[in-house]
Amino acid sequence: MAGSTTSYYFVIIGTKDNPLYEAEFGTFKQGGDGVPKFREEQRHMNQFIAHSSLDCIEDLQWASKEMYLKTVDKFNNTWVSCFLTGGNIKFLLLHDARSDEPIRQFFTDVYDLYCKTLMNPFYEVNMAIRSQTFDQKIKAAAKKYL
Amino acid sequence: MALPLEIPPRARSAIGASKASPMYNLRSSIVSTGSTTSLASLFAGTGASLPRDIVDDIKSVIHHAFVPHIAVHVSDDVNDIIREKGLPDLYQLIRSYGEKVQGRITARDSQGSSVTFEDFAVRFVRLSDIAQRPDRNSRNGAGSTLRNGGQWDGASAESMNSEELPLVDELLDLHLSHAEELIETSLATEAESHTGQAFYLLYLRKLLSGFPVTSHETFSHPVACLIAISSRNPSPIDTLRQLYKSGAEMEIPGYVNKEYLRYYVLVHDEDKDDIQKSTALFEQMKRHFGLHCHLLRIRSSMCIVSDEDSVPLAKSQWLPASDELAELHSRQEDDIEGDSLSRFIHGSDESAIKTMIREMVAQSIIPFMERNIASWNDQILSRRKGIGGRVLSFSRRFLGSTATRSATNSATASNFDPVTNSYDPVTPEAQMRKLADWAFMLRDWKLAYDVYNTIRTDFNNDKAWLHVAGAQEMTIISLLLTGQAITPKIRTDTIDVYLDAACYSYVTRFRAFYAALRCLLVTVELLRLSGGSSAELAAKWAIKALDLNIRPTVGRALISQRVGDCYAVRQGAGSGGWGGRRRKAAMWHVLAADTWIQLGKYAQARHCIDVAMPRYMSTEFVYIRRFLDQLKLDSGHVNLLDLGSMKISDDTEKDSADTDDVDEEKVDIAEALIEEGEKPRFDGKRRSILIPQTANGDAPGMMTMEESFNDRPL
Repeated sequence: MAGSTTSYYFVIIGTKDNPLYEAEFGTFKQGGDGVPKFREEQRHMNQFIAHSSLDCIEDLQWASKEMYLKTVDKFNNTWVSCFLTGGNIKFLLLHDARSDEPIRQFFTDVYDLYCKTLMNPFYEVNMAIRSQTFDQKIKAAAKKYL
Repeated sequence: MALPLEIPPRARSAIGASKASPMYNLRSSIVSTGSTTSLASLFAGTGASLPRDIVDDIKSVIHHAFVPHIAVHVSDDVNDIIREKGLPDLYQLIRSYGEKVQGRITARDSQGSSVTFEDFAVRFVRLSDIAQRPDRNSRNGAGSTLRNGGQWDGASAESMNSEELPLVDELLDLHLSHAEELIETSLATEAESHTGQAFYLLYLRKLLSGFPVTSHETFSHPVACLIAISSRNPSPIDTLRQLYKSGAEMEIPGYVNKEYLRYYVLVHDEDKDDIQKSTALFEQMKRHFGLHCHLLRIRSSMCIVSDEDSVPLAKSQWLPASDELAELHSRQEDDIEGDSLSRFIHGSDESAIKTMIREMVAQSIIPFMERNIASWNDQILSRRKGIGGRVLSFSRRFLGSTATRSATNSATASNFDPVTNSYDPVTPEAQMRKLADWAFMLRDWKLAYDVYNTIRTDFNNDKAWLHVAGAQEMTIISLLLTGQAITPKIRTDTIDVYLDAACYSYVTRFRAFYAALRCLLVTVELLRLSGGSSAELAAKWAIKALDLNIRPTVGRALISQRVGDCYAVRQGAGSGGWGGRRRKAAMWHVLAADTWIQLGKYAQARHCIDVAMPRYMSTEFVYIRRFLDQLKLDSGHVNLLDLGSMKISDDTEKDSADTDDVDEEKVDIAEALIEEGEKPRFDGKRRSILIPQTANGDAPGMMTMEESFNDRPL
């Protein structure tokens, strides 16, 4: 991935291949400032990679009991990790180094947040998540684990 | 101008579906109707296998790539006759007829059962070219390649350097530009159908048509040599002896076996010489040289189009890229100065040449090869495989390891010569490789596979890495050609491991990019034909092939497109298409389109976008959308479906003013569709239309946007 420091692209994808929530963040580890270092041409590639890895997820989801599917796909230097909820909502994280454990913790927190969003009576499945609070909490989780 | 807004939604989705390849076709129409899921599961299986003719196409390209090479060595008086006909030499006259040997050819395989080939081929090369080729390459390659810690040496490695690759790219570029021109001037609507597979096949063929002469494989080494004199020669028998001698003395690399078959041809000039004299001479030749002789009767006069029995000289499909480029350039000059080369020959000449080649192949070359295969199989392979051979090779290995420890690299241990990076042609290792290659040429895949498997370990013991890589490559290819079912175990234990090792050797140890690319692409094609999860493996290796070539070249664009095709072959199961690779296929087609645009090949780009579009029709990914809109603008692609439903955002519309000025009026199809009403007929010939732009830069027929993508959350 572009840039000297690690950058992450996170997306929640609904049941109809539709993105519900997208975020980019940089790492805070190794003195990173948490700002994503994606170049402009990487933006659409991130989405293409995330979208195309759904093919692999559809394969893997039947093979594993876990909700966290670990890394499911790789494109050049970009790894794709996936967490699959019971309602077939996919959390995808694009990263450029393998590190299963922090990503699992991150996904667990995100799952928590997502469940809380689902409990909102005004929210329906497959609706885009626009809540500011949700956004802030995701960013905080990213800061904590990634 | 009227917009196709009147088309009802159902019909619109039908347009979208018909524009795509058949696999998408089915799925997208089902998705849009929604209620016919049971139908989907009915049809889901049908798309899994490729159409018959495509399979044949690819197989025949691979079959025809690995064919016996026949050197041509002729006296000057023969070339004099040919020059009178208006062609440079005998080689140029006969080479294209070797690509399709007339009639059926029967060969016997190792089990003794005979196999019939409808499309057997041989390739003619000039003997002098074989002598020169490694030289030429090593001279050019020497500057760029560094000696790498003594890992490799000698001309053989350098001759496989990638200098053929840019030539192939350049040639394809020419072909594509030509096709592009035809499309732009709308002379050829059917040229659109060529944009898909045809150019990739052409690329593959050109890549496979110029095998360099190397030590690690014998495909490009001559199986036979055609020695020819003419009836004009004053001392024919002596000249033949002379040719035999000069051919044998020619500076051919030491690893090329000179024990090839000699085939003697007497070229008789029908127009000027006496046939009785020639027949007498021919009888004399037969007495001196045995049965491998032929009397070729051709006319020396030049043939022009208006002649009664004139036929166009067959075009060679398997010209190496460098030769074809040279020919194209010279033809361009000829067009200005007037045609200097004849493009026509007499019909009688054509049939005489065809008969000669058929006779030579069926009666001399095939039996010669069969005989040699049988004897090598008998003498070397069985001995190697038998108890004695095992003990011998084991003790040699034991001795060899001690020998290398005590004395430096003594020749007693192995037959491998690390200085030239080759085996002498008389060593058992070299002969076994030759046995395998010849069995491969006669399409006895089973035997070839067995032998490659055996020699691989031998080469490995000798640390002859180039030869190991070659054997690994051919092990996989012959395994895939045997048609054996590819189990997951074979996939991971054999194909993946060997391919990886072969590529590593080729690229890292020898910088032989050509060999690596050939190895990868042939395997990719064969894997793709097996379908299912092999197709995914094919895609994986095709992506690896992309790494060999970073710059945006025609080759890179074609290979990315191929990655998409490989993924597209893998179809899912059931109505959801579980396990399919539709999204991946679409992504790679988009990436290919991007590369095509960088290269300025817009028709290709439009084709790729057409294939990928159905997957992204209703995507909510903002950047994907924006990127695709940009691609469409850059390539001049507007798809019919977009006219009704798509919106162009503000910033892209601004850009459209300074993109290419489209002067072609091609909306007639859109209008025809509207007039026809609800059920548009789409014959698949024209897949995209160009919309003329008005003075202010707005394309008519675009809808203004209703909502911006920007206000969606990121």
